[in-house]
Amino acid sequence: MNIAKLWLFFLAFALSGCTVAPKKDLSAFNAASPRSILVVPAVNKSLDVEAPNYLLSTLAVPLAEKGFYVFPVNTAKFILEQEGFYEGEQIHQQPPESLAKLFGADAVLYVTIVRWDAQYALISTTVTVQFEYRIVGKDGAELWRTTQVMQYSPQSNSSGSLMANLLVAAVNAAVTRAAPNYLPLTQQANQMVFILGPNAIPNGPYKKATQ
Amino acid sequence: MRTLLSLLFVFAITGCANQSLYQWGSYDSMLYQSYKSPEKIVEFRQGLEVHIAKMEQSKQKVAPGLYAELGTLYLQAGDSKKAVDLYGKEREIWPESRGLMDSLIENISKRGGQKAEVKS
Repeated sequence: MNIAKLWLFFLAFALSGCTVAPKKDLSAFNAASPRSILVVPAVNKSLDVEAPNYLLSTLAVPLAEKGFYVFPVNTAKFILEQEGFYEGEQIHQQPPESLAKLFGADAVLYVTIVRWDAQYALISTTVTVQFEYRIVGKDGAELWRTTQVMQYSPQSNSSGSLMANLLVAAVNAAVTRAAPNYLPLTQQANQMVFILGPNAIPNGPYKKATQ
Repeated sequence: MRTLLSLLFVFAITGCANQSLYQWGSYDSMLYQSYKSPEKIVEFRQGLEVHIAKMEQSKQKVAPGLYAELGTLYLQAGDSKKAVDLYGKEREIWPESRGLMDSLIENISKRGGQKAEVKS
């Protein structure tokens, strides 16, 4: 790709940044206009048992910055455990109405971890996360849902020398293999679905108040 | 050229004036660390404490949930008096939390009452 194309791409991306027309129908969300959102532990379809906890640590900030009161996620997890609910599956099977009532929440955010893995090739590694997000109102009606995939494979800067490039790629792959870092990807996924993406949720009351 | 490109990129990433509503004092990364290595929970508690003190000193609104998170960390460490105090603060500045904070506080005082009864 030459520089001119890159320029155009970035320019288009930058310009489109804040004027993307919403594709999905947000009337249910707007009608319910929740003030507060309860984030419950995720259902995990990946093989990494730690994934739900790591994901949980990334969800409160973007939602609160979007203008909602977000129930303290670790406190909510603790309360659910006290009630005997340890697993995401178990929690997602509860009627949303009773979860909302237990916490006094206007809406509940359910996330399912579809992918959270690293695929290893000889000299490169691709890290992938994929999440399904669903917000349900306190009366049990679905207000919003979306899916987001994020992928990352470390790219080496071309130095012109094939051996040097291979070496850099191998080192990158080794680092990624030893400790694939899912956190930046997860944060990007959240940014896309809550804030930047075409199907982002509407602003909550605390964000509206500042506008 | 490169600077301009990265400027544009930053603009694209941050979108339109995405000014943050709150200061979080690395709450999310401390929470992540405490899930990753449970012994870091002490650092999490101390870090939150320092951040909240800073917010109170500069008279800034503490981000939603932080008082309650710190309260729960104290509750888990056995300091229910401090937990009740912090749940009360959460309730005070975030009316959406009232129902939950009320029942947490009520449960703690009930348990405290039971303990007192057992002792007497």
